[in-house]
Amino acid sequence: MGKIKKKGVSGQAKNFITRTQAVRKLQISLPDFRKLCIWKGIYPREPRNKKKASKSSTASTTFYYTKDIQYLLHEPLLQKFRDQKALEKKISKALGRGDAHDAQRLERNASRPEKTGKTKYTLDHVIRERYPTFIDALRDLDDCLSMLFLFANLPSTPTVPAKMIARCERLCLEFQHYLIVSNSLRKSFLSIKGIYYQATVQGQDILWLVPYKFNQRVTGDVDFRIMGTFVEFYQTLLGFVNFKLYTSIGLVYPPKFDKMRDDQGAELGAFSLEANGVGAIEQPKQITNRESAKPDPKLQAEIDKLMSQLNEPEKEPATSQTLAEEGEEEEQSTDTIDKFEPAAPGGDILLQPSYSATDPSTLFSNFTFFLSRETPRQPLEFILRAFGCKRIGWDAVLGEGASTHNELDPSITHQIVDRPPIQAIQEGNANEEEFEDSQTAQKLKAGTRVPGRIYVQPQWVWDCINDEELKRPDLYAPGAQLPPHLSPFVKKVRGQYDPSAPLNEQEREDEELEADSDMDEEEDLSDEDDLAVQKPKILTENEVDATAEGMDVAGSEDGESSENEDADSFGGFSDAEEEEDEATSTSLQRQRELEAELTGVALEEKEFDPRAKAKADARKKAAQRAKEEEEELGRAKMMMSRKKRKIMEKMVYSNKKKDAEAELLRAKRRKIEKSGKGAPRV
Amino acid sequence: MAPTTIDRKRKAVTRDVPETSDAESEAEFGDGLLEGILSQSEDSDDGSDEGSEDEEEEDNELDEIETLNSDEIPSDDLESEGEETNDGLKKSNGTKANLLPELVSPSSLEEDKPNYTITTDANGGERYVYGEIDPVYDSDDSDAPGTTNTIGNIPLTFYDSYPHIGYDINGKKIMRPAKGEALDALLDSIDVPNGWTGLTDPATGKPLNLSQDELEILRRIQTNELPEEGYDPYPATVEYFTGIEEIMPLSAAPEPKRRFLPSKHEARRIMKIVRAIREGRILPYRPPQEQEEQEEEIHYDIWQDEQSRPDNIMNVPAPKMLPPGYDLSYNPPPEYLPTKAEKQTWESTDPEDRERDYLPTGYDSLRKVPGYEKFVKERFERSLDLYLAPRVRKNRLNIDPASLLPKLPRPEELKPFPTVCSTLFRGHEGRARSLAIDPSGIWLASGGDDGTVRVWELLTGRQIWSAKIGDGEAVNIVRWRPGKDAVILSAAAGEDIYLLVPPVTDPETDASSRELLDAGFGYATNATQALTANGARKDPAAKWTRPGSRLEDEGVLIKITVRTTVKVISWHRRGDFFSTVSPTAQKSAVAIHTLSKHLTQIPFRRLPGIPQTVQFHPSRPLFFVATQRTIRSYDLQKQELVKIIQPGARWISSFDIHPGGDNLIVGSYDRRLLWHDLDLSTRPYKTMRFHSKAIRAVKYHKGGFPLFADASDDGSLQIFHGKVVSDMMENATIVPVKVLKGHKVKSALGVMDVDWHPREPWLVSAGADGTCRLWM
Repeated sequence: MGKIKKKGVSGQAKNFITRTQAVRKLQISLPDFRKLCIWKGIYPREPRNKKKASKSSTASTTFYYTKDIQYLLHEPLLQKFRDQKALEKKISKALGRGDAHDAQRLERNASRPEKTGKTKYTLDHVIRERYPTFIDALRDLDDCLSMLFLFANLPSTPTVPAKMIARCERLCLEFQHYLIVSNSLRKSFLSIKGIYYQATVQGQDILWLVPYKFNQRVTGDVDFRIMGTFVEFYQTLLGFVNFKLYTSIGLVYPPKFDKMRDDQGAELGAFSLEANGVGAIEQPKQITNRESAKPDPKLQAEIDKLMSQLNEPEKEPATSQTLAEEGEEEEQSTDTIDKFEPAAPGGDILLQPSYSATDPSTLFSNFTFFLSRETPRQPLEFILRAFGCKRIGWDAVLGEGASTHNELDPSITHQIVDRPPIQAIQEGNANEEEFEDSQTAQKLKAGTRVPGRIYVQPQWVWDCINDEELKRPDLYAPGAQLPPHLSPFVKKVRGQYDPSAPLNEQEREDEELEADSDMDEEEDLSDEDDLAVQKPKILTENEVDATAEGMDVAGSEDGESSENEDADSFGGFSDAEEEEDEATSTSLQRQRELEAELTGVALEEKEFDPRAKAKADARKKAAQRAKEEEEELGRAKMMMSRKKRKIMEKMVYSNKKKDAEAELLRAKRRKIEKSGKGAPRV
Repeated sequence: MAPTTIDRKRKAVTRDVPETSDAESEAEFGDGLLEGILSQSEDSDDGSDEGSEDEEEEDNELDEIETLNSDEIPSDDLESEGEETNDGLKKSNGTKANLLPELVSPSSLEEDKPNYTITTDANGGERYVYGEIDPVYDSDDSDAPGTTNTIGNIPLTFYDSYPHIGYDINGKKIMRPAKGEALDALLDSIDVPNGWTGLTDPATGKPLNLSQDELEILRRIQTNELPEEGYDPYPATVEYFTGIEEIMPLSAAPEPKRRFLPSKHEARRIMKIVRAIREGRILPYRPPQEQEEQEEEIHYDIWQDEQSRPDNIMNVPAPKMLPPGYDLSYNPPPEYLPTKAEKQTWESTDPEDRERDYLPTGYDSLRKVPGYEKFVKERFERSLDLYLAPRVRKNRLNIDPASLLPKLPRPEELKPFPTVCSTLFRGHEGRARSLAIDPSGIWLASGGDDGTVRVWELLTGRQIWSAKIGDGEAVNIVRWRPGKDAVILSAAAGEDIYLLVPPVTDPETDASSRELLDAGFGYATNATQALTANGARKDPAAKWTRPGSRLEDEGVLIKITVRTTVKVISWHRRGDFFSTVSPTAQKSAVAIHTLSKHLTQIPFRRLPGIPQTVQFHPSRPLFFVATQRTIRSYDLQKQELVKIIQPGARWISSFDIHPGGDNLIVGSYDRRLLWHDLDLSTRPYKTMRFHSKAIRAVKYHKGGFPLFADASDDGSLQIFHGKVVSDMMENATIVPVKVLKGHKVKSALGVMDVDWHPREPWLVSAGADGTCRLWM
């Protein structure tokens, strides 16, 4: 007979410990325990069997791994917490005695991080323990950066001291500087939540989210003490990461920080990087010398030649494109990997690393940008600089640090504008005059264009860097309806809906025909709200280019109306189509014919007959195919074990859900494409 | 010295007074004593009873001194004195005069005078009366209270039943003092004397009375006062040294000058500080230092000597935030924008139930994008997740579900297989029990309950030939002899096995068939009969005879009679042997018949269980016998058991061997169809249970198609695709392909037998409804 096993001494009962037990074991308060957990990265576990893990009769909710808690027992921070607690007791005792002087003396010893933003302890050793290697730290940088960027944009409150915010901001800017210098920013995405950035540092993809520059709405249910604890840890982490990153590329950390420039809103410009033992790295200078700033004499000549024709803004895209193309041609590099194509069959296929066509550091290197004052300066500056742009100017309103505040600087090749074009009445002469005036005033009237540069909306920058190529600027002209901004983070999976691919490539066979009849019914309903969504776009379109685009719009509207008519004409018997029986449909048709005879209206048979037939055919085919597939699946399932069948059913369920989602999107797109309202796709 | 001794003596006397009175109480008993008590209490009206006594004693002492001087006998003197005093205290101590002289101290003996006086007692006898004992300082009992009662340390209650309460020093009984009688009690209650307690003195048994002083003490104790009156617990301290003021100075020296002049040294030091303050060297108030100014964040390469830690299974890194999808774009493709209905459903659902916590929104330019309201909230929730959410490793099955499906051949590859009933063979009355297609694939033979064997043209369904062989007995089985050189049909009805040559073929084949059958007759006659041990001719296992002219005309050429009903016939591939099974026979259940020699052998003397069916191995000299539970394979050459296959079925109905010889299908009455791989295991490789009723027959296609079929009592046939690959490593693929329904179920019997066409993927089946069907 084996030894009788005692309950609760081994296995899960010993491996897990409830939170209350843990707190009691560590002899600290719950908030302190929370802090420790956050810093040390201790998190609750889900025991496989909760009943076995808990010793009490009541169901405990939170379990920790016992070894984690034992590990906490040796934490030097624990002693710090206890000291602080003892000190607090002393102070409160002194105050209770009315001994204000003593209390004050003791108060001086106490650390008040919420006031000073400084603690008595450091978290260095925690960082080292949590991230034994630098790669580990990089891997965990997503949350760190998101949190610090948020705090850098928060207003200071008693719970969020200004010092903390300033430090967060500094750390973030330092990190951005590293990305700029090392050109490791890869992707960025304008979402409704904020701007996502992705950088690749030492092979690790780091994705973080930066809020738009607005006052953050803080609701009452947010506990800033918890966030503050995280921030405290993340600040230390990012400090060390920055140090490592800076030193790895031979820069001095911390970089020199110019307080005065920062106060003037220079942000990134407030830092000056220094190489190790070399001194300050040359910063892009203010553009003073016109010759050096001139992009290309050949280009300039071309632009000059075109100057006379450039009174109308619509013509711009043509020139800009040539410019872009020429720019690209220059960027031919030779040190890329050559693609090996098999010359004869039979050889093994060797994998080659995929290489990007353009080096991210050179994407914008030849351009000079100017940011209008309505554009978000910080993200644009960061992205442009990270992709090689050396000279960025912006309106003085946007702060210090620009290479130029002069909008009329002729070296500017691109201007980023984010306001609707106002059709200013201008004449050639007036324009020229203004041009000369503005040399001194440095101000332009809204809506005026400086010839020789490309005006684009901000999205152009994002789309360019995500696709690693210069996009056609005419699609992004001010006031134009922008092509949809797609997330670069979505991996294309076969079977999933891909908005960038044409519809007919990804839809199933006959899906359109099948879907048509369903859509006909829906169309009446959904058309209205669809219009509501699309309306503003159409309006702007009309405003913008009355010539070509306007025709398109009109055309599309025509198409739409005819579509609507079609829909109306089908509306009557769409119910009939629902039924699969062909016989009933034919009888109904006959009925209609009779009715038509009575009313004296000619029936539009020719129009709908082939379509209806095709639809019916498609439907029949699909039904048959579905039936066949089902049969086959049933047969296959018959041969599976029950366990495997269960697993498969689960997977099929989730796949079906995804497919349904994709199909819904396809259906929507089909409708939009039919109505011709969709924006151009790139 | 004398006065002290006298003093002692006197005191002793006074103390002894009650003693004597006690002793005396023995003599005088009753009223006198009681009265005395009463009178005494009456007299001592004030609390200074003792005091008065003391005074009296004082007086007496003075008297005594005088008497001593006068050399009188003290005892006498005492006596007289006692008398005097006692007289003063009324007559209670009336006998004292008599008693006192007895207690003469020995000190008086030292004096020459006798310390006693001789008197006459009541009887007229001589009586010595001793003087009082003077307890001197050294005497033993000087301090000890004189005990009047010598009962020792025992409670008074021990004497309750006696008239006395103890003994006095002389051993006389001390009588119990009279307890107050009713009248006295009444009197007492009327006139309670001062100090009366109502208690009895435990030592004397007398009523315990307290004096006024004692009462006063008690009262003070009760009221928590000091018992002694006039005692001051806190007397004013007498200050001996400090409190006394000295009027005159100790020294007459004049005050020094320094007492009146400010100190130059101190002034110098103060000025030094003042100067320092003026110059700012000393700050009178030091503002609290800005601590963070001096502590600049110190950074160093924390990962200088980094060492990667091996990943622990318990370490679950936090999952990363999901990257944003297309619908999160500020300008998403229009199909991602929600329609009105979707928007409404999103808004109406509870925030917790929403599939996504944002609503895709499109803005036509970047400047119109507002701040995201829930940004802080979401970040906060993320941080809560990071430290509060339990983490579990979950294996996500991120594989294509299709890969889980067994690799099935495509339906096109599975074809051809029989799908429809193309020909119906009607004619049998009652059930059609068995059927077989001839090796050429042209004819179909069937046997039924009506005792006929019929041969049909397979494709047309036309009956070509029929013979009634069983007289009132059903034809249980029909089987064609394998091989195309002759057309011989074997059939069994009852105990008889018939070999027939149906007249359907060309005359040449017909003739060769008849020749083949007839050849054995010579052997039968020439063969030496087996002899039993005693030399008698052994009864043959079967009798080979000609069935008679009527049947011979019809084509039935040989009749073999065995002992019991034959249920199964199975031919060897060469066509020379066939085996029959008659399950009811005990020993001769399985018989092997040799056609060329007209010989019947019984290979098994004993079989474990009832044999059901037998089969010859298609290529090797193996012989399979199925009993109810198991299938045994025997090597016919070595004559030994090779293998026992255990399908696990309760009652095997039929089995068939794959033409390759390595696989086996078994059908059972408990609705199972089992596929055995003989190389793999003795247990089934696959068990198929797709029938609702018993399986009657199973059959492999022998002509090259990977098909097999089973027939069941539920009236259906099931066709399976069973591909056997020559590769040893690969298992057979079994795919169910078709269920054929057509036969009617009659009296719980459906399809009785199946057979495959030798070349085509056609199937024939015999049903209990009397029909045979061809499925193609």
